[in-house]
Amino acid sequence: MPGDPLFNNGLNLAVALIVIIKAIIVFVVVLVSVLFMVMFERKVIGHMQNRIGPNRAGPFGSLQSLADGTKLFFKEALLPAKADKRIYRLAPILAVVPAFLVFSIVPIGGTITIAHHVTRLQLVDPPWGILFMLMLSSIAVYGVMLAGWSSGSKYPLLGAVRASAQMISYEAAMGLSIAAVVVLSGSLHTSAIASGQHGLLHFRNHTVPLPAWNLFRTWVVPFIIFMIAVTAEMHRPPFDLVEAEEEIAGGFNAEYSSLGFALFYLAEFMNVVTMSGVTVTLFLGGPDGPRILGHSVGPFWFVLKLFAFLYTYVWLRATLPRFRYDQLMDLGWKRLIPASLGMLLFVAAVRTGSRGWVIGVMVGLVVGAIALMRALSVGARTTEVEAASIARAGRRA
Amino acid sequence: MAQYLPIVVLMVLATGFAFVSLLASRILGPKNPNSAKSAPYECGIVPNRQPAQRFPVRFYLVAMIFVIFDIEIIFIYPWAVMYHQLGTFGLAEMVAFSIAVLVAFLYLISGGALDWGPVKRLSPAEIITRPYTGSATIRRVPRPEALLAGIEPMEGSAPDAPAAPSAPAEPDRVPATTGH
Repeated sequence: MPGDPLFNNGLNLAVALIVIIKAIIVFVVVLVSVLFMVMFERKVIGHMQNRIGPNRAGPFGSLQSLADGTKLFFKEALLPAKADKRIYRLAPILAVVPAFLVFSIVPIGGTITIAHHVTRLQLVDPPWGILFMLMLSSIAVYGVMLAGWSSGSKYPLLGAVRASAQMISYEAAMGLSIAAVVVLSGSLHTSAIASGQHGLLHFRNHTVPLPAWNLFRTWVVPFIIFMIAVTAEMHRPPFDLVEAEEEIAGGFNAEYSSLGFALFYLAEFMNVVTMSGVTVTLFLGGPDGPRILGHSVGPFWFVLKLFAFLYTYVWLRATLPRFRYDQLMDLGWKRLIPASLGMLLFVAAVRTGSRGWVIGVMVGLVVGAIALMRALSVGARTTEVEAASIARAGRRA
Repeated sequence: MAQYLPIVVLMVLATGFAFVSLLASRILGPKNPNSAKSAPYECGIVPNRQPAQRFPVRFYLVAMIFVIFDIEIIFIYPWAVMYHQLGTFGLAEMVAFSIAVLVAFLYLISGGALDWGPVKRLSPAEIITRPYTGSATIRRVPRPEALLAGIEPMEGSAPDAPAAPSAPAEPDRVPATTGH
């Protein structure tokens, strides 16, 4: 039965205490992992660019991010003259709180018994787990949007409208690719999604020597779409148009200094860690992995997979140049959304197990793709004709 | 309802952390604001206009189209959860729903509602050449007419770019940074 067994016997003082302890542990773990992630990124990027990276504070520079954070406490908190004061101060909080909360639905593996109370290694396991994640990623848009708008300055406003258009565009593709996972798991419980990926892959009564992770069960494409969408959602490179230094001078947080800036920075890196956790849960089996010396070591495998993703995001940042804005929007709307909708139908059709349905849906997808190509060329033509008529009107004036 | 408790606790912790650290930086940090510091940041140039009141309408358009797609996704989730029970009937329903969505989507695309970038012009006569002036290496600035012809991307680059080419009105000027 999904759901946290901690609450089976109702709520009493011991349960409440366990809940508070778990919340504090999650809070500290997330915070420490962010400090680590900042250091890790700077170190890895440094080595990828033939530099050493931070190496002064602490052994191997491991305390660098802590030192930076402490320094920001002692910096002046500026308030721009044109700022909307309340919203300007509220925005960093709106950015950082959702980032903290996402990690609460990520299952780290198995259950644990504290003082005769069995509980999951996961802060909450609500029946609306994935919806909660989607909700938080929508709320994160507000932090960015309000920060840019309330700064009363040109570049932050531009960064903010860019950011919100980008984030909502990729949210659609992200939601559709998660739906493909939900079709397979039949549940929105993150623990059920993770535990549904145990064992080996079965396909048409054959066992394939691959783990039964959703990555393979959904035919890989939704995973790729999800990765791209999440990268854009977090505005990480190559989708970091939100903070394009060359064009908009740092973007939505250009007017923030001191801890206001630090909270945005914190939220950004926290999102990298938590969304990597969500990706591992949704597509890579969460804590699933072989036993070591007869013990099931879910948390170990979870952290290992998490690291693979953290490294991937750093790698992307070091490797890829930034997108242009129209390329970004074209990729999101004209490629990823139709592709993820098509994959959702395909996964659903394969799930029925009837050959007729699979072939029927595939034919439908091909027809849909051709119609999409036609629509794209018609759309380009329409825009061209419009631009020409605007130009003619301009010349006449 | 007890399921909500951990989230509430974590939310309180996170909010408290954000508030306390903002407060701490206000207590610990120095405080000597001046008008140069509080002026809008424009890379060192004294801003001579109010911050933009308007931005390209395409951003609104995208937000409105997104609402449609978000509602569609909200419909898909309950269906996805119940898909085991629904079987082929569920698949047929979703195929019908997807066709309806796809038709609307194709209509949007073919209307050019989702086009952003610089317009690709097929007729070379439209493009004003002479990019370089004789011996100089300075690029000639296109006239406003040329800008209107859609050679340079206008959307998203600057919200006040398509404004009248005349100089900004004097009352908009922010006071120079001469202190109080």
